[in-house]
Amino acid sequence: MPQFKLPENSRVQPGKTHPAPAGARDVRTFKVYRFDPDSGEKNEVDSTLTFRRSCREGICGSCAMNIDGVNTLACIKATSEIRGDVKIYPLPHMPVIKDLVPDLTNFYAQYASVKPWLQTRTPAPPDRERLQSKDDQEKIDRPSACILCACCSTSCPSYWWNSDRYLGPAALLAAYRWIIDTRDEATGERLDDLEDPFRLYRCHTIMNCAQACPKDLNPAKAIAEIKKMIAERQH
Amino acid sequence: MSLKSPLRRVTYLGSAKGGSGHWFAQRMSAVALVLLGLWLVAALATMGGASHANVVAWLSSPVAAAFAVLLVLVAAWHAVLGLQVVIEDYVGAKGQRLAVLIVVKFVFAVAAVIGVLAVLRIAFGVAA
Ligand code: SF4
Ligand code: SF4
Ligand code: FES
Repeated sequence: MPQFKLPENSRVQPGKTHPAPAGARDVRTFKVYRFDPDSGEKNEVDSTLTFRRSCREGICGSCAMNIDGVNTLACIKATSEIRGDVKIYPLPHMPVIKDLVPDLTNFYAQYASVKPWLQTRTPAPPDRERLQSKDDQEKIDRPSACILCACCSTSCPSYWWNSDRYLGPAALLAAYRWIIDTRDEATGERLDDLEDPFRLYRCHTIMNCAQACPKDLNPAKAIAEIKKMIAERQH
Repeated sequence: MSLKSPLRRVTYLGSAKGGSGHWFAQRMSAVALVLLGLWLVAALATMGGASHANVVAWLSSPVAAAFAVLLVLVAAWHAVLGLQVVIEDYVGAKGQRLAVLIVVKFVFAVAAVIGVLAVLRIAFGVAA
């Protein structure tokens, strides 16, 4: 449901400032969103700024946040790319656990709901892996590069308004990755599960997702392909 | 605090196994609307300065009347399909969403019938 206003205890108010040490060179201002769940107010905690991070090389997807108005991975976003103050907020329109840590429970459950694993009835050959052609492998190469950072889904207006039912670009890209995997034998069931006015058809090809993806993936195109495949089996 | 698992909340009632018809119809009606719109504009362009009687005569020809009826129906249909998307996007509460949807469909059904009757009156010479 569209929600255009933040709850009372989440409205942004002026907070603390930490001046640069005397004699520092290359000074930049960082403006960081703070949220303390216990006090219900930001800016009272100061000793620890809470955020997720792990790999520091853009591969774990933990450090996704909104920097300078764009969802991206903090670890690979260079300060030099930003002019003026560096404004940092948590991923948009998600419940905030603390500071820059959003609650991604629903996002992960949506990923799990598309059954992101190989489903087959034909047993695997006893002596080797399941084979697929080089061309077929290349089709899943890019979608497999998704690191589930949630930059795309949390940039998508349809996801903001209806994330209780719309699966969002990340989960749909994952679904697509298994739909086009030539080794998978559950393609029809996968399409059945997606064919839903809310799960899939909330996507209006606004393309925010492709714009936001730090791995240069294109969930919007994958979603369009899913819609085409569903149409194909009707005609 | 809900005791339902996150996955249960996501999977809930399952897929509606629908929506593709709406998606396809929205695109097809858009194409039809472009073609019918072009026809209307082209027809009106050739009739600049024509008298009322001339325009009525034109609209009472079977082909023009048929296209005009189609234009009314397709325009209403396309509008309903489009508004449905907007309503589903922005009206969150379930009961409210359905209520607004029904009202919109009803209003457009009435408008479409009025439009069709208006064209038919001219086509059958009732209005002339
Ligand atoms: S293209 Fe679809 S999934 Fe991507 S941002 Fe737009 S509505 Fe969301
Ligand atoms: S598609 Fe891109 S933005 Fe979306 S979760 Fe995957 S890596 Fe992140
Ligand atoms: S810390 Fe792993 S992606 Fe940034």
